[in-house]
Amino acid sequence: MVYDFSIIIEEFPIFVPAAVQTLKITAASIVFGVVLGLVVAFGRISKFRLFYYPATLYITVIRGTPILLQLFIVYFGLSEIVMLDPFPSAVIAFGTHNGAYIAEIFRGAIKSIDIGQMEAARSLGMSQFQAMRRIILPQALKRAIPPLGNQFIIATKDSSLASAISVRELLLKSQQLGSSTYRFMEYFIIAGIYYLIITTVLGFLVHRLERRLAVSDRL
Amino acid sequence: MNKRSDRKMVEVKGLHKSFGELEVLKDINLSVSEGEVVVIIGPSGSGKSTLLRCINFLEKNQSGEIYIDGRLIEHRDSHINKMRQNVGMVFQHFNLFPHMTVLQNVIEGPIQVKKMNKKHAIIMAEELLDKVGLADKKNEYPAMLSGGQKQRVAIARALAMQPKVMLFDEPTSALDPELVGEVLAVMKELAKEGMTMLVVTHEMGFAREVADRVIFMDDAAIVEQGIPDDVFDNPQNERTQAFLGQIL
Ligand SMILES: Nc1ncnc2c1ncn2[C@@H]1O[C@H](COP(=O)(O)OP(=O)(O)OP(=O)(O)O)[C@@H](O)[C@H]1O
Ligand SMILES: [Mg+2]
Repeated sequence: MVYDFSIIIEEFPIFVPAAVQTLKITAASIVFGVVLGLVVAFGRISKFRLFYYPATLYITVIRGTPILLQLFIVYFGLSEIVMLDPFPSAVIAFGTHNGAYIAEIFRGAIKSIDIGQMEAARSLGMSQFQAMRRIILPQALKRAIPPLGNQFIIATKDSSLASAISVRELLLKSQQLGSSTYRFMEYFIIAGIYYLIITTVLGFLVHRLERRLAVSDRL
Repeated sequence: MNKRSDRKMVEVKGLHKSFGELEVLKDINLSVSEGEVVVIIGPSGSGKSTLLRCINFLEKNQSGEIYIDGRLIEHRDSHINKMRQNVGMVFQHFNLFPHMTVLQNVIEGPIQVKKMNKKHAIIMAEELLDKVGLADKKNEYPAMLSGGQKQRVAIARALAMQPKVMLFDEPTSALDPELVGEVLAVMKELAKEGMTMLVVTHEMGFAREVADRVIFMDDAAIVEQGIPDDVFDNPQNERTQAFLGQIL
């Protein structure tokens, strides 16, 4: 047998630090992306050009270029101006990347709320801001949860690209061990199992949240 | 029923509204006195909803003036938000807040807009829910209510702001026939208590029984108005006659 699958079980635990690194990059770029996405979503629905155009430009650029290129621009490209370590570079690049997709998720969710909700809120005398905060956003956020969960899973998988700038996350770890032992398959399988565990747990948590928040919709 | 006073609660002067090329309201003049119930009838597309929506500035008119309780409303957010506290609106499709319970729907306006203390707001909301016959539903979410119940909550929500005027835009049109009565009953009760009301409806029985005045709109204008018996039994304008002939 060319493969020695017992390695998978024996060496599984030594990937824990790399998995933690993967989780850290993912979590940080999701938080970054959600905050940025919310701000940009408001820019996209704003009737003021000063907000609308920059938001639209940002989304167009991010969605129209490869994420690996974006990572290289932050890590190598910006190094002339500011030398960032690999980890913060990855978080900034991936956070900015996720922000564009998350902005569109929020925008779609806000737009999907019936116009009558805003009118009812305003007709009580609420300001635009109050109506947004109290009436529209709570409903929109709930609606955004499934696509957000999806985006979080994509973000988890995309974090593997940080291996290209030598962040010691799961993929880099498996590549390094693989090339030093020529047992690529075994180590890649370990990395794969970690990714599967993370994405499955994430999917489960999102699903549970979704169900819990659905109380008010239940007939 | 002589409950009217001379105080003008709503006054619309020379109102024009168009959507692009389409003129939806042409030179509307209208006033509603304190305690008066005015019913607006007319064919689909005649501008009834737009008129109500202009009165509380959900639509912006091109020209004309709107006075609420004698005060000219300017196109400024501060003015409009203040005015809206005095003008309750009930929509055809209820527009309850689905993420809030019945009680939360009713206290939302007083707490957020009037900064009323939560305890007071709840006491008042419970009284209002009792009045519309839904005290036992206060902890339900709107999704669990029938259409008639939803609309009664929507009425309670609007009343919670203690408005001086209530606008109703076809409040029973989205309801199953057997649920219309319960909503009309609440509206009749309100009228009896002296609420100033401007009601767009196709419920001619309600108009006849409750209205002090009926306005017939057609083609973006007020064509005819008068006390219900005159408008219904002896319409002067041939367009009114044609319309009533179709629906009665
Ligand atoms: N937001 C809008 N944009 C463009 N046109 C509109 C808009 N709202 C209404 N209209 C048009 O304005 C006219 C008047 O509409 P409005 O809703 O006021 O009529 P209505 O008398 O309430 O009719 P219905 O009995 O069907 O409710 C219609 O021709 C309608 O198509
Ligand atoms: Mg209408």
